[in-house]
Amino acid sequence: MSYLEVNRVSKHYKKNQVLQDVSLDVESGRTLVLFGPSGAGKTVLLRIIAGVVEPSDGTVFIDGEDMAPVEAEHRGVGMAFQNFALFPHMTAYDNIASPLTAEKLPASTIEERVQSVAKLLKIDHVLAQLPRALSNGQKQRTALSRALVGEPPLLLLDDPLRNVDAKLRFEMRLELPRLLSGRGATVVYVTQDYKEAMAMGDKIAVLNEGRIQQYGTPEDVYLRPATIEIARLFGDPVINLFDVTPNQGADGLFASLSGVDIPLPDLSEQIAGSECVLAVRPENLEFVDAKADNAIPVIVEAETPLNEKVITLAMTTGGREILLSRPAGAPGIASGNAHVAIKIDSTLMFDKATSKLLGSNSNESNRGEAA
Amino acid sequence: MSDIKMSIESVDKFYGPINDSVAAVSNLSMQVQTGEIVALLGSSGCGKTSTLRMIAGFEEITRGNISIGGQLINRLPPVKRGVAMAFEGYALYPPLSVRDNIAFALKSTKLSQSEITSKVNAIADMLEISDILDSHPSSISGGQQQRVSLGRALIRDAELHLLDEPMGQLEPQLRALLRGRIKHYIKSNGLTAILVTHDQAEANALADRIAVMEEGELQQFDTPDTIKERPANLFTGTFIGEPPMNVFDASVHRDGDVFVFTLGQKNSVNLTYTQDQLGPSIGSMLESRENITLGVRPYAVTRRAEGVPATVMVNQWLGDQSHIAADFADKSLVMVEHDRSPERSGEDISIHLDPMSLHFFDSETGDALSHGGVLVS
Amino acid sequence: MQHVSLIERLLRGVALILVVVFFMFPIVWIVLMSFQTNETILRVPPSFIFEPTISNYKALITGKLETSAASLEINFLRNLGNSVLLSVGSVALALLLGVPAAYAFARHKFKGSEDIAFTLLSFRFAPPLLVLLPLSLYFQKIGLADTYIGLIWVYQLICLPLILWIVRGYFEDISPDIENAYRIAGHSWFSTFRKIALPLAGPGIAAAGLLAFIFAWNNFIFALVLASADKQPVTVGALAFVTASGIQYGQIAAAIVLSIAPTLALALYAQRYLVEGLSLGAVKG
Repeated sequence: MSYLEVNRVSKHYKKNQVLQDVSLDVESGRTLVLFGPSGAGKTVLLRIIAGVVEPSDGTVFIDGEDMAPVEAEHRGVGMAFQNFALFPHMTAYDNIASPLTAEKLPASTIEERVQSVAKLLKIDHVLAQLPRALSNGQKQRTALSRALVGEPPLLLLDDPLRNVDAKLRFEMRLELPRLLSGRGATVVYVTQDYKEAMAMGDKIAVLNEGRIQQYGTPEDVYLRPATIEIARLFGDPVINLFDVTPNQGADGLFASLSGVDIPLPDLSEQIAGSECVLAVRPENLEFVDAKADNAIPVIVEAETPLNEKVITLAMTTGGREILLSRPAGAPGIASGNAHVAIKIDSTLMFDKATSKLLGSNSNESNRGEAA
Repeated sequence: MSDIKMSIESVDKFYGPINDSVAAVSNLSMQVQTGEIVALLGSSGCGKTSTLRMIAGFEEITRGNISIGGQLINRLPPVKRGVAMAFEGYALYPPLSVRDNIAFALKSTKLSQSEITSKVNAIADMLEISDILDSHPSSISGGQQQRVSLGRALIRDAELHLLDEPMGQLEPQLRALLRGRIKHYIKSNGLTAILVTHDQAEANALADRIAVMEEGELQQFDTPDTIKERPANLFTGTFIGEPPMNVFDASVHRDGDVFVFTLGQKNSVNLTYTQDQLGPSIGSMLESRENITLGVRPYAVTRRAEGVPATVMVNQWLGDQSHIAADFADKSLVMVEHDRSPERSGEDISIHLDPMSLHFFDSETGDALSHGGVLVS
Repeated sequence: MQHVSLIERLLRGVALILVVVFFMFPIVWIVLMSFQTNETILRVPPSFIFEPTISNYKALITGKLETSAASLEINFLRNLGNSVLLSVGSVALALLLGVPAAYAFARHKFKGSEDIAFTLLSFRFAPPLLVLLPLSLYFQKIGLADTYIGLIWVYQLICLPLILWIVRGYFEDISPDIENAYRIAGHSWFSTFRKIALPLAGPGIAAAGLLAFIFAWNNFIFALVLASADKQPVTVGALAFVTASGIQYGQIAAAIVLSIAPTLALALYAQRYLVEGLSLGAVKG
């Protein structure tokens, strides 16, 4: 049963439409990631759920209850902010204790609970400090502790790892799910980092320009992105895009790339002769022998290693730039002439005009939009 | 080509009184070969920016010498040093269009107008800023400004190109492509470049050699592969590599032909290796030690049926890699796999640490002792 | 390049001294005057060397003004007391009304809120005399003329816009997320105002209060028109020193020293808050 339900929520400031007809639901104990570029409306949606911004239209239900008449302080949510939003004039202890003081709990209980959450997040030694004396990492952990200490059934995390350095971000990405799952809370997690989205989310809602573009599991979004734009947002390095016009040959569908005819998998749509975009993830391109089937001749321009992978920039004879990715240590070619092949079963085909994904059972992945 | 383009000899930098204040850079010596890309890598306050500014001539050199192209430049004003620089804050000229910003330094050269135009167009194509050439800096995004600033530096024909945090603001979708193009451009034009960055991904992607700095001192200066495979100390070992190296404090004892490493306290794990597995010279190194720090890269952690048990806590699939954190010896052991791994949290796995992928460090000093069976000389 | 040469340091010192002399000279001169008799003040050329006398202060405190022609009763201490009462009273009232209003203007944008805020500010634009004439007639009708309450009310024309506009800026500088965080933690909006907004804008409120106090203290025209002798503050009271037999420069100087002393003391004491208040941005987040 869904714990949080957002029903056709819209928000506009004067003429500026920030959210348009957004509907979502999150099951109890699950994590929903709101993913999108800055200005997509993620933060506003989170604040509407928290009750500090009123929607222009639509309803938010928490645990089945309409939240319209419920003030922020009575919604029982915990929230962590991107800029931490710590109270600068209170110690870390008082910051963390603030949700408990509101409940008027006895001092000993407050002390006990603050200490236990601080210990869990490894900040028990800085509780007496004011926020300005804390490092960025400690600030972030204090903000998280404050959101967690009241054990709220609904947790809203607004890009909590954005303002910490790369190392810490990585550490917290692995640590956070552990902290969250231990509490059984329902979580809405906002991020601009596709890795965080895939790592944290049971479901991902891709938000852009105030609308939900796709709503599905990390698998749906990565393997069956609804649009070219989404395909470009997920994955590092970015997905390769080739403009092609498929032809119907004797052995099936094929497209011509740099003078090489590449066979294409059959799709449910009839795409022969129409303008399409063939999208190939860098990890689905490999160096092959010149004599291999469908080998595309290229010139390797540069090799740039990236997190245990090696990224190669190559230029086809037709002047198209392509990016290849392979695990570090796997054999590759660092410069000069080479041949590459496409693992065709892992490619995606988009309609050039609408930029929509072709040939997928797109009903599943577009459910958010339809709901 | 192995002639030296730039050399730094025993350079110190003090901002306060000499020797009484903390040294921003201390006893730094390094050489950059012609045609090389070198990255100065470190966290903020490590001395990398001071070093760059001394090379460019914006800071006085407290002690030591810096020469470019064989010429001592300590006392030369910035303009005479033959360096081109891309600034971290972009420092574009606000009243000039993007085109004029990029062409600015070429105006004083003997190039004809049409040559300048074609050069500017080529570099704008490379940096994906052709469509904003007539805009002014105030009307373009931060990422675009950064690309303009890069273009203005790269278009110049200088002895040395200095790039200060050149790609921090680039749009994620463009990053891999631009890194590739810029590397290709620098290499194919035979430029020599020094880039300063705190982002190891950027340093790894672009640099032939990386100078890792911390607290004003050079920790290691080597190729990215060597730094990864043979870090000089625990600092570089954990600083370079994403995800970072797994590090465990262990006690060692010898049991006949077998070395037993005990990791962790509460749920301690024993790793046993024979002398042969560890490598011949490692045994004698371990002989005299009771405690040792042991490191293993996340991608070097493998799984094997008869391995050591661990419990998966988190398994995160990122599309092209899986990152797994497992409970192991009171800590979490991070592993990277290039395929999608099916494990869920709570499942037990059996892991194997290949002795050839272990790094040993001195527990006291943090200095590296051996890497994969080879002692550090 | 960051080593400052001797010449540069010297020039800086000279420039600094010039500025200090330029700004401090009138005050120093007045303090010197307050310890002189009228005769020594008026001699030509003026001189820094004189025999100090405290007769001017004595006259002010005893209320007996002795001149060569006659002796005159003045009530300077009463004036000083009036100044304190009027300034403190009007600043207190302005804070009580202005701070919540400033918060409302900062946090709740509604239709016309900008217009209302601007209207309040516009009280400062009108020449006071224009307001005063009708106001004094009204005040006489309703019995507010020559009362402390009436004066404090009129003083709001000075204090309220000042506090409203300065404090509003400080409230706007507090990140709404900090207040949102406190609300979401389960606290009511009033408690959020009291526990988060007020303390964070504290330095700004102090700075605004101090400025308002100084403006109120220095006000002349309102009290001149609306108050009789026993309710007049020092600014108006000083007029008494312009007597038929001449201007009592010595006493005027002493009166000025006494009347700027409290504001000066307050400003020095509150300097810490002022600086903190003006750099509130550093406290955010």
